[in-house]
Amino acid sequence: MAKVKRYKYRNTAMYLMLAPYMAFLIGFGLIPIVMAVFEVPQKSLTNQNGGWDAFKIVVHDFRFMPAARHVLGFMAIFVPLMLFFVLAMALMLDLDAGKWKKYVRLAYIVPASISGAVAVLVWYVILQPTISPIKMILRWLHITQAQQIWQTQNLVFILSLMAFFTAAGQWILIQYGSLQSVSHEIIEAARVDGCNPFQLALRIKLPLISKYVVYMGVLVFAGGLQIFVEPQILNQSVYQGIASAWSFDQLSYELAFTTGDFGGASALSILLLIPSLLGALIVIFKTDMFDDATTLHRKKVKKHGKMKRAEALS
Amino acid sequence: MKRKYSMMAVAIAAVVGGTMVAPIAAQAAKPSITIWVDAPRLPGAKLYAQIMKGKVDVKVELHGQSDLVNKVQLFNRVKKGWPDVVFGPPNDVAVLRNPLINDAMALDSLAPASFWKGFGNGNNWCKADGKIWCVKNDLAQTVLWYDTKLFKDFGYTVPKTMEQFVAMGMDIAKNHPGYSLGALGSQGAYSSYLWPSQCPLNQEKSATRVVINGASAKCTRVATLIQPLIDNGVLSKTAPWDAGYIKDVGQAGKVVATIGPSWFGEFVIRPASSWAVPAGRIATAPMPMWPGETVNYSGEWGGGIYTVSPHSKFPKEALAFAQFMVSDKRNIVSVLNPDGSHGAPTFPAYGPGNALWHAKISGDPYYASDPFPAMLEQSQKIFSGEKPVRYDTNSAMEGTFANALSSSGKLSDAITAFTGYISSLAQQLGYEVTKS
Repeated sequence: MAKVKRYKYRNTAMYLMLAPYMAFLIGFGLIPIVMAVFEVPQKSLTNQNGGWDAFKIVVHDFRFMPAARHVLGFMAIFVPLMLFFVLAMALMLDLDAGKWKKYVRLAYIVPASISGAVAVLVWYVILQPTISPIKMILRWLHITQAQQIWQTQNLVFILSLMAFFTAAGQWILIQYGSLQSVSHEIIEAARVDGCNPFQLALRIKLPLISKYVVYMGVLVFAGGLQIFVEPQILNQSVYQGIASAWSFDQLSYELAFTTGDFGGASALSILLLIPSLLGALIVIFKTDMFDDATTLHRKKVKKHGKMKRAEALS
Repeated sequence: MKRKYSMMAVAIAAVVGGTMVAPIAAQAAKPSITIWVDAPRLPGAKLYAQIMKGKVDVKVELHGQSDLVNKVQLFNRVKKGWPDVVFGPPNDVAVLRNPLINDAMALDSLAPASFWKGFGNGNNWCKADGKIWCVKNDLAQTVLWYDTKLFKDFGYTVPKTMEQFVAMGMDIAKNHPGYSLGALGSQGAYSSYLWPSQCPLNQEKSATRVVINGASAKCTRVATLIQPLIDNGVLSKTAPWDAGYIKDVGQAGKVVATIGPSWFGEFVIRPASSWAVPAGRIATAPMPMWPGETVNYSGEWGGGIYTVSPHSKFPKEALAFAQFMVSDKRNIVSVLNPDGSHGAPTFPAYGPGNALWHAKISGDPYYASDPFPAMLEQSQKIFSGEKPVRYDTNSAMEGTFANALSSSGKLSDAITAFTGYISSLAQQLGYEVTKS
């Protein structure tokens, strides 16, 4: 009886904690999606008869393929770069670095505060050969004019760099956190068995945090697919025209607010939702990221890391 | 407990909602209009609001020129919020009068025939399908602006043809390096060179057909003739208000001459924050003639328009504001601007308004000689092939064209990139794109 009461209390607390999130999810997630679906078949200058052709029209838009090339090129650099460096840094941070450890951790979080619009300004200065703090390096690379760098075809690299430095810091700390969940007993056992730090990282720690890696991969993928702020600011205020309709989101924005084609913009948004949604479904159903403590217990997991996580949750 | 709070929320909502509903019912009798203007038109609009106090409630809002087309799409979704009368860039009229956007109404019957007659050809831009869709505030015809002091120092005479203009540029590069014949950025290349050369870029022939042909001889001759001036830096690839250009060229007094619109004198050449060329040096001349032509055409850079929304409850009062701006002495000559100058800064499109402005500018001691005659001559010679179009050609010029010009440095590449882009855009918006 007492147990039932406790569960009831726990459920109420759970709903209370969930409520704000649900409110935002419904208000800014689900309702807009439904609205977008209804918006697609509306008449517009590009879809004069209205109807679901909007999807076809937007895919055949002359800016769609270039945007696809840009965004995929950007992701081909950005996503692997993130996964590799973030994990490498987190694993190194997990080695005992002595008393400097907490300062080093702080150093990772600092670049994360430079995001979006500010990052554009920072990188504008860094890559401006006349005022750059790294102008020695730029000169060594024979770059003396901003025009040599700020070209549309270079943007995949520049934006990858920007996005990497913006996002890497916080992910390093998150992955460092996930490494803390690895049981000391396992680490000790591996050491006793003769593991060197390198083997320890690759063979023991990495497999134990793999679900967090997948989780990160999906979020980084979804974020990259929706890149908007950086190219948009570059295009509007720094180098006009350099990134016009460069990414999918920019194209969607341009369709909506320059052409007034809300149907096309909605259609593109819905198309963009699909890969991110698939990614989220993979995380939920193909990893045990969101399994709760009781299920984990029921599965009688063998790995200590998961036990540890389960303990933390319960 | 929970219920109590929700009841309170309902009560608060009712109070707030109530205060918002009340005033609407109270003021039905007096007409009220909302005006959107950009910064240069703001003093005139505020003056108008003052004058109309008691007769019409005039609400003036400051908006960037590109605001309306963006916002109208949203207003159309929520079915409210449209301003009654708006000052905007000239190309807007094509977008706004499209039935799907529907935010510009035919104005013919709202003003007496004598008003429309007063424009002469000055309002032709606004005419389509036999109706008048907007009121042209000013003409932005290009003329040749030149510095009489530098001309004297360097021994130049006013170029009558484009060949002479280019020859002067070659001499500047050789004998007076660092001096300039202007800047091609923003709409510069289009309004000062491509349009006067009759290069077909936005030649709308009907609601469903537009001629865009960068390969036409009228375009390629521009690329061939002035490319050397880009190569030697006499024509800058930046905008004339680019910070670097202002500091190194404009304020250094190194602009020998520039082809520019009729508002260049008051907006770019004269202001202390811009080129700040001292008094007594600047004069205007007619446009140089392109090879093989018989008319020295002008292009236009801006030349804003007033449109009245069909959603307006008081379209006549809305149009009356536009009439005031283009014809009333209090706006054209007297109104005090924030920089201390008086009157409308741009060449009025409306005949009687223009006469008032003529007296003002001709008597202005800033200019070395009366700048009006060349402006008047060129106002009759704006090449009329270029039309308002439904696609955003101005942004494409400042984006695609400028980007291609700055990356390759070749005018021909910029023209190719630009025409490719706007051709695709035009097709998407329901135009058939043809070469002639």
